[in-house]
Amino acid sequence: MMPAQNTTQREGGFVLGFVILMLFAISVMSATGYLVVSNEFSMSKHASESSEAVAVARAGLERFVAEQIGVVGDSVSYAIGDGIALVTTTRLSARDSLTDVYYVQSEASVSDVFTTNAPTQRTVGAYALHHRRPLAHHAQMLISEREIEVESSFWGYGQVHGIDSSTVADCPGGGATSITAAIALNQVDERSLVNGAPDSEIWANYQAMYDSIALRWDVLQDPDFPVEFEDQMPNFAALPADSFPVIRYNGNQYFSNSHDGRGLLIVTGEYDAWTSFDWEGIILAGSVDYRIYGDIRGMLVGGLDRANPGSKVEVRGGNFYYSCNVYAANESLSYLSLIENSVFEVN
Amino acid sequence: MLLSSLVIVLVASTFLVQNRYYASQVLQAGAQDNARAATELMASEIRSVMLDGIIVAGPRTLTVRSPIVLATVCQALANQSFVHSPGGQSAIDTVEVAGIAIRDTISGAWTYAQASFASFNGSDAGAQNRCASTGADTVGSYNEFHEFGSLPALLGTTPALGDVLMLFRETTFTVQTSTMDTTVQGLFRKTFWSTATELASGFDTSARFQYRTSAGTYVDTVTTANLDDIDVIRMIVDTRKPAPTGGVEDITSGWSVNIALRNVR
Repeated sequence: MMPAQNTTQREGGFVLGFVILMLFAISVMSATGYLVVSNEFSMSKHASESSEAVAVARAGLERFVAEQIGVVGDSVSYAIGDGIALVTTTRLSARDSLTDVYYVQSEASVSDVFTTNAPTQRTVGAYALHHRRPLAHHAQMLISEREIEVESSFWGYGQVHGIDSSTVADCPGGGATSITAAIALNQVDERSLVNGAPDSEIWANYQAMYDSIALRWDVLQDPDFPVEFEDQMPNFAALPADSFPVIRYNGNQYFSNSHDGRGLLIVTGEYDAWTSFDWEGIILAGSVDYRIYGDIRGMLVGGLDRANPGSKVEVRGGNFYYSCNVYAANESLSYLSLIENSVFEVN
Repeated sequence: MLLSSLVIVLVASTFLVQNRYYASQVLQAGAQDNARAATELMASEIRSVMLDGIIVAGPRTLTVRSPIVLATVCQALANQSFVHSPGGQSAIDTVEVAGIAIRDTISGAWTYAQASFASFNGSDAGAQNRCASTGADTVGSYNEFHEFGSLPALLGTTPALGDVLMLFRETTFTVQTSTMDTTVQGLFRKTFWSTATELASGFDTSARFQYRTSAGTYVDTVTTANLDDIDVIRMIVDTRKPAPTGGVEDITSGWSVNIALRNVR
């Protein structure tokens, strides 16, 4: 007869073996589960990063085109989401004297900081048109107002000229064909000097004007759209003589001799000017005060916001068409537009 | 003795269950790997399909024309078009080129012409200088310019300066009986000049394509007249693997992938 203690020891060994077996079984199941989940996780992650890289590349491309104004840069990079988009451009041809064709490529890389894997890279490309001088020379003064009244007074002798005051000595293309002096919606009242070819025109409505000038006013007046100078004039003495910068004033702005300068002047609100104000280039304004002074040697396009404060605009300053100033300011206004149906993934 | 037998049976059955579980999981993971890899490959090819690029849209057959590369004309002569394409000729998989298309500058629509790359490929010599003469910046992209010939005959029009061209592949994806395992379905890919090759197997008979149109709903088939209405292609990936041992049901899994066609609108 065996002692009772020995029997208990043998039963204890069985339980130990059984527990070890079960632990082994659980380990195998856990390892299998981990393998499956790990594989699934990796594949999902790679697929997700790949899609994100395409999205980042496309976003970079769209952002570059949307924010571009003036001379097209060679390259720029943006941090978007978890990735970086490097956008490069190549000029391919001059389709005509006003339009260039560009190839724009955006290469995105999305990296996972938690792994040592190489970043996921995807590239998209597209063709774009660079509208070098988008604003057509319709008239020296174009205001979507019922009436433009050119008059003289004690404070100023109103003049609007569509005859080019520039010559070929000023710039290639100077001495351009004469344009219309003034365009309004109902009437141009020539109480003082209005001289162009023709002197004046009447356009049907605001929409006709807005469509004809073919500018992206909604973009240009957007405070988020980057321009060179915001709500202040640059130190023109520090700029090269041939530099015609883009300056934007947000809201209404009154201009005097402290604002004298050159370039593309954007006034998102109401444009008003005193006699001492001199500007060379283009002025784009949301609306125009009922009485404006100052001299403009270039072009004025006003009333882009449709509403003007009065029923007419009295012009009491000298407004002259200088095609060279307009060309230069117009270059600052140049922009890119993607050729529709030309975005593709570069393999 | 009885106790030992019991332990042996327990151990054996545990191992068997473990083995079966492990095998089924591995099979399922394998099926998913296959299908996912195939759908990823398919998605990258389909995603950039352009306007007018879908040729057949059926539940088990999908034929698309997708861009290999786009090019733009930087000098246009009567029967010679000097073009720029990103990466140059070395970046073009010339074997897969099913033809060339030209974009209408007004409507944006593409006119496709089937042709081998060799039939319109010209000499690259001097192409850079030709394009430089019209304003192209060839610095850093010297090898990205080349010449295409015979395009007026192929496209029915002479490409003009600034026109955008597309070298496209025409690919047919089908879900049909797998050649690797005839008990399941496989996803096949066929390019215009080649025979079909199997990308993945282990699909169930319910695996198919669906298409979203402007109505916002998914359908299995779109007629030829309405192909331009498709803006999303869905691949329903139902997988099936025969069970590793008898007496157990086949292992199935499934999901769907929606591929938005970004360039068709």
